[in-house]
Amino acid sequence: MEAVTLLDAVPTARNRCLTFRHDLPLMRLRRFFACSLPLVLVAACSRGEPTAAPVEGPDGGTLVVAEPGDADNLLPPVTASILGHAVADLVYDHLAEIGDGMQTTGDVGFKPQLADSWTWAPDSMSVAFHLNPRARWHDGVPVRAADVRFSLALYKNPKLGSAIAPLLSNVDSVTVKDSLTAVAWFHAKTPESFFNIVYQLWVLPAHLLDTIPPERLATSETVRHPVGSGRFRFEKWDPGSQLVLVADTGNYRGRAKLDRVIWAIAPDNNAAFTQLLSGEADLLEIATPDQLKAAASHPALAPFVWPSLQYVFLGMNFRDAAHPAQPSPFFSDLRVRRAVSMAIDRHAMLRNVFDSLGAISYGPFPRSLATADTTLRLPPYDPAHAQALLDSAGWMAGPGGVRRRGGRPLQIRLIVPTSSAFRMSYAVLIQDALRKVGIACDIDAEQFPSFFAKQAAGNFDLVLAGYGTDPNAGGAQQEWGSDAMPPGGLNYLRYSDPRFDAMLDSASASFDAAAARRYASRAYQVIADDAPGVWLYDAVAYGLISRRFHLPAMRPDGWWQHLADWTVPIDQRIDRDRIGLGSPTH
Amino acid sequence: MLTERARAAGRAWARLAPGARLALGVIAVFVLGAVLAPWLTRYQPWQQLDVVRLKSLPPSWAHPFGTDRFSRDVFTRILYGAQLSLSIATLAVLVSSTVGLLYGAMAGYTGGWIDAVMMRFIDAMLSVPRVLMLIAVLALWSPVPVPALVLLIGLTGWFDVARIVRGQAMALRDREFVVAARALGANPARIVWRHVLPNVLSPVIVAGALAVGNVIVLEAGLSFLGIGVHEPMASWGTMFQDAANQFVSTWWAVIFPGIAIVATVLAFNTLGDALRDLLDARQLPGQPAADLPEPAHG
Amino acid sequence: MGRRVAARLGQAVVVVWIVATLAFVLIHAAPGDPFSFDAPTVSEAVRAHWRAEFGYDRPLATQYLLWLGNLAHGNLGYSHSMHEPVRDALAAALPRTLVLMAVALVGAFVLGILLALFQVEHRGTRRARWAGNVALFFYSVPDFWLALVMVLAFAYWLPILPAGYPVSMATHDYMAPLAAFVDSLRHLVLPALTLVLLTTAGIARFQRNELLDVLPLDFVRTARAKGLSERQVVRRHVLRNALIPTITLFGLSMPTLLGGSVFVEKVFAWQGMGWVVVNAIGLRDYPMVLAGVLVGTVMVILGNLAADLAYGLADPRLRVD
Repeated sequence: MEAVTLLDAVPTARNRCLTFRHDLPLMRLRRFFACSLPLVLVAACSRGEPTAAPVEGPDGGTLVVAEPGDADNLLPPVTASILGHAVADLVYDHLAEIGDGMQTTGDVGFKPQLADSWTWAPDSMSVAFHLNPRARWHDGVPVRAADVRFSLALYKNPKLGSAIAPLLSNVDSVTVKDSLTAVAWFHAKTPESFFNIVYQLWVLPAHLLDTIPPERLATSETVRHPVGSGRFRFEKWDPGSQLVLVADTGNYRGRAKLDRVIWAIAPDNNAAFTQLLSGEADLLEIATPDQLKAAASHPALAPFVWPSLQYVFLGMNFRDAAHPAQPSPFFSDLRVRRAVSMAIDRHAMLRNVFDSLGAISYGPFPRSLATADTTLRLPPYDPAHAQALLDSAGWMAGPGGVRRRGGRPLQIRLIVPTSSAFRMSYAVLIQDALRKVGIACDIDAEQFPSFFAKQAAGNFDLVLAGYGTDPNAGGAQQEWGSDAMPPGGLNYLRYSDPRFDAMLDSASASFDAAAARRYASRAYQVIADDAPGVWLYDAVAYGLISRRFHLPAMRPDGWWQHLADWTVPIDQRIDRDRIGLGSPTH
Repeated sequence: MLTERARAAGRAWARLAPGARLALGVIAVFVLGAVLAPWLTRYQPWQQLDVVRLKSLPPSWAHPFGTDRFSRDVFTRILYGAQLSLSIATLAVLVSSTVGLLYGAMAGYTGGWIDAVMMRFIDAMLSVPRVLMLIAVLALWSPVPVPALVLLIGLTGWFDVARIVRGQAMALRDREFVVAARALGANPARIVWRHVLPNVLSPVIVAGALAVGNVIVLEAGLSFLGIGVHEPMASWGTMFQDAANQFVSTWWAVIFPGIAIVATVLAFNTLGDALRDLLDARQLPGQPAADLPEPAHG
Repeated sequence: MGRRVAARLGQAVVVVWIVATLAFVLIHAAPGDPFSFDAPTVSEAVRAHWRAEFGYDRPLATQYLLWLGNLAHGNLGYSHSMHEPVRDALAAALPRTLVLMAVALVGAFVLGILLALFQVEHRGTRRARWAGNVALFFYSVPDFWLALVMVLAFAYWLPILPAGYPVSMATHDYMAPLAAFVDSLRHLVLPALTLVLLTTAGIARFQRNELLDVLPLDFVRTARAKGLSERQVVRRHVLRNALIPTITLFGLSMPTLLGGSVFVEKVFAWQGMGWVVVNAIGLRDYPMVLAGVLVGTVMVILGNLAADLAYGLADPRLRVD
């Protein structure tokens, strides 16, 4: 597997409006992996990927995106929704563009965007960005270095509460050398300094935002009408209904080819899919296996694949659900944890839930991670062995098929969020699998807020958890490290193993990629042997798009990254492609 | 005594409309099916046969109603689902009838400002749509255990009964035999127990029969939303929740439990209608007793 | 009359206040809060920051008083599930529910009364019995199941209608006004039809009983003696008298309709009040849920009041105070 560079850790909550029937797994978008995804697509996919045509083509065309769930808000530093990120990427600009190579080290491969060029200080502790003098905000005001200074200060302002702020911690400040030169200063010399400021920071218009107190900004009226410098300009947002962008015809980087992009906000994934089938919409970001199957026979639709850095597993709580200070009566015993692992047929469950579209999880990491090791030794599916292990742990067969030890039944509680249809299915499958080895499992299906509260409080025996991991090896530390105990940390299972911690420290400190991978591998094997979880699946997602559109290669950190270069051939245009740039007629 | 009762029962059966006899038959079939489930099917309701090869199978000889997406036999789940759905409905209606009966009898018999306050309370409760109230409580606190579900459904369903009973009790208060009992110094609780309750029982029974159907639908709806009965228990409602995501491709998992519900509810409603016609003859003055003006979907 | 209305309104305010307070306590006592949403990398610190910003970290009593105060000023708060002020979210959702309910009410009353007339005019015949059975059937069908079957039948097996979902302005803005209107109607058909069928059955049963109650009265016998045909008797004399109680049903069916529309909106992804409130409960969107409960309660109370007034107007004997 190719060394993978992962770009950032912007959180992307799958939007919060999904109803409990049809939410899809959490995705973290602004991430990249250059690995070979298992392109095990259904029949639908064998009919061909969306046409990858050269970028030449006439202006015009309208893209309607069926979006299950609205944007939370449109302020780039605080948005947590997919739609919010798409708007940020399309309406605002970075100082430089990362390029399709997605390199994060130094400034290799970065292409000019707002900055024409940049000059490094000899000590590499600062870099001067020379802004493009033709760059204009969509209201006509020129983009100036002061805007860059304002933007960084805003991102880092604790009153704003941006989740991106920690990722900019190495950037000390931006100073204005002259109106077109902004200098970024770093705290330390690191390989990803340039990437940090360029990729994490969208440059925002100071003249529109600096009068609003940061704590009011996220819900302010101004932010609902974003004014940026990107190739699309914002037209309107009717929450719960639609969001429209149009081509910025006078843009310094050239007019977007499409005239108009409309996100039609649908109440849930089913409704969005219905719109796609009826031709009311052209694109659905995430389709379920059932929907992909249904769309396979549709002449106008083609599937496409999405990467993700989320992995989902069945976690076992090392502490007592009722008294988190005490060890779990069940899972503090390695034999019980391994028995649970061996009772679960991960591959059969994957096929049941995802048909042929699933991606099995290989361990406590997504397969696309640079340090992923797909050869770990995991406990095999072996119910007989599981029974023997439980026997040896003192949990003996009891009345009603439920094992007992010292009068206590082996009855455990599994929490699962109703918002994820996939995890809900897994819960039912796991319940029956555990019953077969004498474990009574109660499903505690909760809407996300209650699920979250119980997970954080350790109020569960089993949890169907999903981690969107951080790209580097250190990411696993935030999830499994001894230092990451809640509150504050994400180690909800309260797993702790000094060997794992030490090994991962070595991996993070290593400058040699191969050595880092070796250390990480050994750390993962420690976890795999400790069996705190059963590794179920990687959340790989598939979307559907109308064949009308001719697109350049899709970039994995967002299908919309090259949207300004999408075209619709004249002869394939339909009525709505001819709307043009004007306002709708009422 | 016994033979007299048997003869009375026979007469009642003869007076029942043919539709009502059919309805009783349908109910009997479902009750028998629920009770005899272990002998009627060789599967368990939670049994996943083969989650890869036997999932979402269309109806066949081996699985007359097909299998669901977890490879469970739909026919088996309907049989066992009848156990849960019917018991929940019956128990919930018992709860609501009892509460409504006592509350209504007390308000009607006591009269005066106590009655006024008690009836205002009912007015207030009736202003909150029952379904919304249940959804709110259940969704906020889910998962609730089945007994709590029964209580919640029962305790939100007695207002109509209380109103009916109260009307009857008020009318009875001034009838000779009650007045006589009072004159003889009988304890009011005893008067209500001996004289009022027996006389208001028949409209309550009619309302109860109709309410059972109503509650079956209600439980199914709540379970459909994922906040009623929980896995792996099978109630008719949970079967919809399982299947609703894929109901286009696995329609049998939605259609068959639906037919079971419609048949049962139809039977209870037919029975309720017939009972009302039967009891109406010796009905007390006033409204056609159990004519709840609202359709069942509340 | 005026005094009675005033008294009823006074009671209504008290009822609304009690219900709102109950709802407030209930939702705040439930686990989770508006900022415990699904975004694993949003840190606890950021969540705490948001909580403080929206005042959810203050004592419950303070929050309650603030909320009541805001309510009195017509400020319903900011909805975290709809990402806009609650007022705007209501303004979008309420009309959708009202359209659905209005169509259902009108359709159901027309159909229901016609069905009852048919049954009574042809009473004793096989046709009438079948009409009664059909009414009883729809009376017994679970609302969400009928909705699912409608989708299955008319959106998939015989794909002639869209599966509900009030299509957004997104495509309508760019259509000719007439085409957009027709398209809206098409999307309305299935959910409205479902609700109509469900409501019709109850009304037909009620109306039939009312008609049968009036039938044995003296004036009907007189009319018949005058040599009018059965149809004329029923339509001219019986219906007029039997309609009064049915008219009150218009208002009284509010809770049923609201309840039914929750399921219908869910299946058809119709973003009306029911959909929005159920969604908001799941996301602990306190202000939105409370507003939804308030609106629902007010609708029921207004319905009851309207029923009362209609009854008074229709039956002069009740007009005395």
